Amino acid sequence: MRFILAFLLCCVIPVAHAAVVTQTVRPGIPASADYRVGDRDKPAVLLIHGFLQTREFHTVATLADGLHDAGYTVLSPTLSLNIPARAQSLPCEAIHRHSLDDDVDEISRWVQWLKAQGHRSVVLLGHSFGSLQLLAYLSRQPDPVVKGYLGASLVEAQIGEADRGALIAQLEDRVRRKQRDLVSQPLSFCRKYTSAPADLLSYLRWDQPRTLAALRQAPVETRLIMGDSDNLLGHDWMKALRHIRTKMVVVKGANHFMDGEHEFDLLARALELLGQFNNKVAR
Amino acid sequence: MKPFAAFSIKQIALAIVAVLMVMVSLVGGLAAWQTRSVSASLERNNRDAAQSEFTAAAERLYRRAATQGEQLARWDETRQQLVQPEYYSYWRDQRVYESGMLASRHARAGLYDMQGALLAPSPSRRSLPARLPASATPFQPVAWLASENGTLAYYQSFPVFSDEQHRALLGHALIRVDFMAELLERESFHFIDTQSLALPLKPGETLAPADLFTRIRLTARTDPNQVRFQSIMSRTMLALFVLLAVTAVLGFAVYNRLLVRPLKQLSHEINAMQQGNDAPGIGRAPAMHVVELETIRRSLHEYQAQLRELHGSLEHQNREFRSQARQDALTGCYNRRAYEEDWARFQEDIAHTPQGVAFLLFDCDRFKTINDTYGHAKGDRVLTIIADALVMALRANDRLYRLGGDEFATFLARTTPAQAKQIAQRCQSLIEAAAFGDVGIREPVGISIGIAFCGPGHIERIAELPKQADIAMYTAKQPGRNRIALYGEDTERAAQTLVASRETSALFQALATPGMIEMHYQPIHALPGRKVDYYEALARIRYHGELIMPGAFLPVIASRRLETEFDLAVLNQVDADLTSGRLPEGVGVSINLSAQTLSRAEVVSLLLELSRHIARHPLMLEITETSLITQIAEVSTYLDLLRTVHFRIAMDDFGTGYSPLRYLADLPVDVVKLDISLISKLGQDNRAAKVVADFARMMGDAGYSLVAEGVETEAVLARVEALGIEHVQGYLLGRPIPLDQLAGTATATPTGAACPV
Repeated sequence: MRFILAFLLCCVIPVAHAAVVTQTVRPGIPASADYRVGDRDKPAVLLIHGFLQTREFHTVATLADGLHDAGYTVLSPTLSLNIPARAQSLPCEAIHRHSLDDDVDEISRWVQWLKAQGHRSVVLLGHSFGSLQLLAYLSRQPDPVVKGYLGASLVEAQIGEADRGALIAQLEDRVRRKQRDLVSQPLSFCRKYTSAPADLLSYLRWDQPRTLAALRQAPVETRLIMGDSDNLLGHDWMKALRHIRTKMVVVKGANHFMDGEHEFDLLARALELLGQFNNKVAR
Repeated sequence: MKPFAAFSIKQIALAIVAVLMVMVSLVGGLAAWQTRSVSASLERNNRDAAQSEFTAAAERLYRRAATQGEQLARWDETRQQLVQPEYYSYWRDQRVYESGMLASRHARAGLYDMQGALLAPSPSRRSLPARLPASATPFQPVAWLASENGTLAYYQSFPVFSDEQHRALLGHALIRVDFMAELLERESFHFIDTQSLALPLKPGETLAPADLFTRIRLTARTDPNQVRFQSIMSRTMLALFVLLAVTAVLGFAVYNRLLVRPLKQLSHEINAMQQGNDAPGIGRAPAMHVVELETIRRSLHEYQAQLRELHGSLEHQNREFRSQARQDALTGCYNRRAYEEDWARFQEDIAHTPQGVAFLLFDCDRFKTINDTYGHAKGDRVLTIIADALVMALRANDRLYRLGGDEFATFLARTTPAQAKQIAQRCQSLIEAAAFGDVGIREPVGISIGIAFCGPGHIERIAELPKQADIAMYTAKQPGRNRIALYGEDTERAAQTLVASRETSALFQALATPGMIEMHYQPIHALPGRKVDYYEALARIRYHGELIMPGAFLPVIASRRLETEFDLAVLNQVDADLTSGRLPEGVGVSINLSAQTLSRAEVVSLLLELSRHIARHPLMLEITETSLITQIAEVSTYLDLLRTVHFRIAMDDFGTGYSPLRYLADLPVDVVKLDISLISKLGQDNRAAKVVADFARMMGDAGYSLVAEGVETEAVLARVEALGIEHVQGYLLGRPIPLDQLAGTATATPTGAACPV
């Protein structure tokens, strides 16, 4: 089935440069992506949206348009979050039945899908929590076609004021005792994130050190594009990133979403960094 | 034609008010009916509006439910539950509400798998069907209504697909809405009485949404504007009716005061005027407030004043007329009518206050002769002088009445016979002293006075006084009397007066009773030969078996002026005798008539009827020339007329009257009957006999046919015959005999030879 779909897409691509592609990421969970074919000489960009958002989120959508316009093949999926054909951003208060592992698995599937489309060079580009999810993917033996990582407004899995260790312990205890009652806990930008304990636990484990480590230890070239006016970041996050000497571009005045005039800054920096990746791949 | 009943103006006003009230009631009723009609129309509109309102509200609810269902079906979290239903109850009871998918607390959501089985049973309080109805098609939304424990539930199911192309069915979403609660909470109803909303469904019965509108039971809310409208209309009609009623009552009162009362007053005044009641209070109605009525009142008062004035004038004239009617135009004294009225009243009055009463009857002596001699003008003047003298002679309060001709009368109250005689003598003295010579009367003029008296003790005999005075009058007129006679004292000839009284009664009875007058016929012989040519019809009155001769009743006829009545009676009797056929045929009849009666049409008419006998019996009329022929021209005309029907006209008793030659000259006389006083002169051998003889010859020469009356001796008869007088009449040749004897004689001597009497 996958092959048939891929074949069909290949047939369509030359004619239509943009298409929604679907694949079943888990049994009963179809997921879709916006696939725009660009220059085959350039790496394909797997663009991952932010936390609980979709590929329609304006920062991501604008970026996808810009990249494709610049000749890049862009595949921007909407992570299913274990919802069949999810098309809407998922509210914080919804019942979250997805884990970071599920997200990474889906990313892996889309990388494979690109690979199946004949793309031999893939650059991962994430926005916000998508950058973290891509880091999580990179931390698990990513496919060799993945040549680079661009993280825009990379955030850590924040949990508010709670003690992450105690919370993780508590959740692990629940998981051990198979207590599946929903848990509501601040996570990332959600003040009340309702989720099953095991699923929540998968996100909580990605604390700042683990994130920084994954960034530092990524098997591919990593670059970050950060805004200096990003109020959603932890107060020491930028400091920590600098501390590990992460290669990043800071856009002055840009907030977390880099909207408004900073959308062009984000695109410009992204293209700039993609160009660098392309050159390296070419060399 | 039956006259219309008259109505009073008050009744008319009441009728108008009643009609007005009826009309107002009809208009009010019509308005009320119209109001009810409008109200019914409004109610219908309300019901329609309520139905429309309900339909619109229900459809909105349907649409909301459909929208929510579609949203629910497209919701990611719905699909999530269909594939991972572990936390379905949380989603169903909390998530769908906090997410805003179900905005109403009256709505519930449920999820069903592809086979239509509920994912998880619902709590009993919020139960949902365990399975979708079989009618729910897999790929189409389905809606239905159901009654559940007294609650009307609206269900809307939607298919949930896992792909945007709606090819992969995941399951079904169901929304249950507590229909009535949702409807009442979400909708504002202006026309529906929400308490009345009901959908009678049997338990377990389902209903398609479209059928709801035909099954729903609802009552339109009473439109407050309609109620207000009806209230306003009712109040307005009531107020209008009350206002009109009050206006009608006030109007009637004003109408009554301004029109009815014044008109009644005017009507009363007019009625009073009609009844002749012009009391001072009448005609003093106060001023009226209506100009026209005031004009009528003024006109009426002016008319009333004029009428009163006219009435006074008429009364005055009436008194004048009455006075004139009671007054004798010639003499100025009271006339016969006044006499009859006063005498009747006097008798009534005197019955209450008995007193001595004297009745005086005056009669002028020889007045007829004076009148004939000096003419009417002087005769009238004589009467005037006599009346004046009598009035002067009577007492101040005594009244003088002229009974007719020269006859006067008076009645004296509180008197005695001596006083009455004294007054009578004073009357005679004043008349004797009157200056008749001033009017050319040289002969002495006197009066005879008959007096009758009854004392206070015999006042019941007062009615006999006129008759007694009449008898006394006859006594007074007897020659040798002093011309004043008191009944009972001066009537020595009581027997005579009794006879006179009997003859008078006989005369009046004979005039009233046909047959009492009996005709005796005396033959008139033709000379020479002494053949009976005529019989002179001579009247007698048979009274109680006795014959009353003309010498007894003719004075009564003359004094009572009964000539016409008597002549008519004579003519009728002659007619009867002629008709009887007992008179010898060919022999004529000579009838005596007063010249006075010849001017009476009824006499002439009867004579013309008698003319039918002339063929068998030549008729001759003998006119007594001693009577006064006042209308000589008229008499002459009638005589001419009678001559045309072959009556012969004879001048009777020629030689005894005052102016026979004048009558011969003026009247168409054929025969002259020489009176016995002339014929008797022929028996003498003197100058008188010669004059008579010459006169007879002269008359014969003048063409008159002569009849010698009163021939009683052969010597006179020979003389008459020698003079050539054509006819002779007298006891010598025949006395008057009754018709019965005449018939016998005629049978015996049809030629009419002289027969002894």
